Amino acid sequence: MSHSLNEIEAMSKRAARGAGLSWGLAEEAAKGTRWLSAFGFSGAGMLADLLEMNDRIPSIDVSPVSLSAEIWHAPTRRMSPLIAGASLSDCAVRLMERGLITMENVSLPLLSVPFMGGAALRLGVPVAAEWESARLATDGRQVCVQASPDALEARHAEKLVFSAPAEMTGRLEPMLRADVSEQNWNRLSAFAHRTFAPATEESRLRGAGAGLSDND
Amino acid sequence: MTDVAKRDPKLVMRLARLGSMHQSRLSFMRILTRRLARENWRFEQSAFEIDENGVGHAVYTAHGPNSSYSLIAYAHDLPPEKRSDRVIAEAWDATFTLFDGVPSADDIERLSLNIPVQEAGRVTGTELSVSRANRSVRLWEHVVSELAEGRQPSTAKIEDVGYLMRTTAVYGSGKLGAADREMIADRPEFRVPFQVEMLSVYLTRWFITDLVQHMADKRATKNGSQAARLDPGIARSIGIGNSTGLGMAPFLLNHPVLFNNWMAAREQAIQAVRAVQKATEAEIALFRDMLARNTQIVETWHSEHPIQIEKLAALRGDVGKVTEYLTGADLGADYPWDALYTWAENSLTLEGQEWIASLILEPYGELVDGFAEGMAADNTATFRIAGAMKIGDLRVLLKDIYGWAIETDWSTPASKARAWYVSEEKLEPRLGERFEEPIEEYEQPLAPGRDAALLYHSLAHWSDEAQVANFLLRHPEHRHVLRRVQIVGRAPYAEIRDNTISDRVLPIDMLRCKLSFFGATKFDPRSDRWVRICMYENAPLPYELTSENADFWIFPELERAAV
Repeated sequence: MSHSLNEIEAMSKRAARGAGLSWGLAEEAAKGTRWLSAFGFSGAGMLADLLEMNDRIPSIDVSPVSLSAEIWHAPTRRMSPLIAGASLSDCAVRLMERGLITMENVSLPLLSVPFMGGAALRLGVPVAAEWESARLATDGRQVCVQASPDALEARHAEKLVFSAPAEMTGRLEPMLRADVSEQNWNRLSAFAHRTFAPATEESRLRGAGAGLSDND
Repeated sequence: MTDVAKRDPKLVMRLARLGSMHQSRLSFMRILTRRLARENWRFEQSAFEIDENGVGHAVYTAHGPNSSYSLIAYAHDLPPEKRSDRVIAEAWDATFTLFDGVPSADDIERLSLNIPVQEAGRVTGTELSVSRANRSVRLWEHVVSELAEGRQPSTAKIEDVGYLMRTTAVYGSGKLGAADREMIADRPEFRVPFQVEMLSVYLTRWFITDLVQHMADKRATKNGSQAARLDPGIARSIGIGNSTGLGMAPFLLNHPVLFNNWMAAREQAIQAVRAVQKATEAEIALFRDMLARNTQIVETWHSEHPIQIEKLAALRGDVGKVTEYLTGADLGADYPWDALYTWAENSLTLEGQEWIASLILEPYGELVDGFAEGMAADNTATFRIAGAMKIGDLRVLLKDIYGWAIETDWSTPASKARAWYVSEEKLEPRLGERFEEPIEEYEQPLAPGRDAALLYHSLAHWSDEAQVANFLLRHPEHRHVLRRVQIVGRAPYAEIRDNTISDRVLPIDMLRCKLSFFGATKFDPRSDRWVRICMYENAPLPYELTSENADFWIFPELERAAV
């Protein structure tokens, strides 16, 4: 079904929060899913994959151990692309200084790509990400993709390398609508639903603070 | 230039002051009507297929220099027991969408299956908004029956209620599958925020005046007589109501950059006018005229809510003091508006201060209207966290912006008595009692003061030289508020500098602030978290709009109110 990007962002934020991410990380997940969706990638489906994989586990277990390590890795050998990506965005200046940031054992690597868009905008130069037979580069506004569909949707990357400044050979423009399958929408909805308080008569009467009758 | 500074965010961004704001030249309704007149927009009713029971559809199209937009209205026969202003309602007297262009018969048919069910339906990128409205039962029947009997309705009754229908939600920006704001934000007519919604409501008001006439005509025909035509002057005096609950309060917190840009535009305007050295005779005359006309809004503003009754009494007292001040003041002297504002800040309540702050802008369209162009926001750049920021710099920001929160004792139940949450019932936003209801685990991040204080205390043992990126890796729970602190560091009017979860918080303060930017008047709270307002009262109907009446319609003409 065709969705507006705001709908995708709002749903993704609630779903990520429902899966146990902090509000700040849920916001990152939402912006990232919106970004991927705008370029025609299955952002919503991949976010659902990740949330199912990491449902309610402590963020620290799937976070980089250190941002100054030569190679970023998580203690569980299964790094969250959202947390790694958010850290990458936070370290945009460091990426420029180092030229490369290498990560090991990252789940669903495509989900980390939107964050390099943020880093590229901050740095004012394109940033690239490479894993097994996939290379993507972006200046934050357009994206250049050299990858097979399978490589893009990889569940796990043993090695993921971000580099700046990068070359952009092709340019894909973002769109302002995106298709999300009903199945993927429902998977995210199930997580989002956890953030809604159950309907009770007390809440219905007190919570909104409306008068008893609007029939006037 | 005298060195008039912009007002300090610490003064402006308090809830009590935000809850005392009034419309101004920079309100979204007035920005819209000025543009429609300036660009000679043309309006037409292109369909009106509504039966004697008031069921059917109508289409109203606005043609601008580059694009046309159509309000498609669906009218329903609503059983009274289903009439509710709340989000959880499932049926309405009328439902609407603003269509991008002129709809085909297929569009109207497709939308007839989706718009009447509102949140249960789906729309597409050609729809810009989705909204609904309910009748004011009191006024609707009165106007229909009087017209059907060949008489004009009572102006006293109209003044008492203000509107025939009130909208209970106007969704835009991608909701329910509609076009995202980003799809249309580069069109000049939609650069300023909420112009889609304001246009939709403006056309809705026209439809409602046609519908009430239609229903009166049908009733008269049934009785073998002929209905009176609603007097155009009376029609103009009828606004369109709006009933707003808690959904609007989180908006200001969830869109900090946008909120900053609204507030900053108004503050720049106030600063610019206070810096005017000499007012011309014409400017002074216009100010005095608008002040007299604006006084009538205050006089005819009714509310039954104790909080607003008290605020209204204070405002009426302030208006008296202003009148007295102006009898003696020489507005021909240097910097008259700065003198007036400074006097107001020292002599009036917050209601009166903000009333004056908005009113001094009136003679200065050329000076202040341009600030409207800065009221929109693109959040892309401000969303990213500057991870290289030093913890020492973050601490300085926190102490400056959130000093009040750091000093608050958050261990007392009163300081955090409330929690904002979303109900699974149609996702209605609600405010609950943290210590009495099982809601805390569903709490939304709408308490920046408390969260900033928590962040500040968590930083205590971190060195000034450490980077924010390293802190966030260990503490993802602070990521949301840390982002916010950095935003407010760049956009000082982005943050409400008050406790939004205390036992004394009044959500209507946030609603009032936002609605004042829409251009609403006569705020009428129904509770501490629910408010009714009137929009477009006294505005020319679209087909009456000219550059002469496009701006100051908000202030009722002196003759009319004297009737």
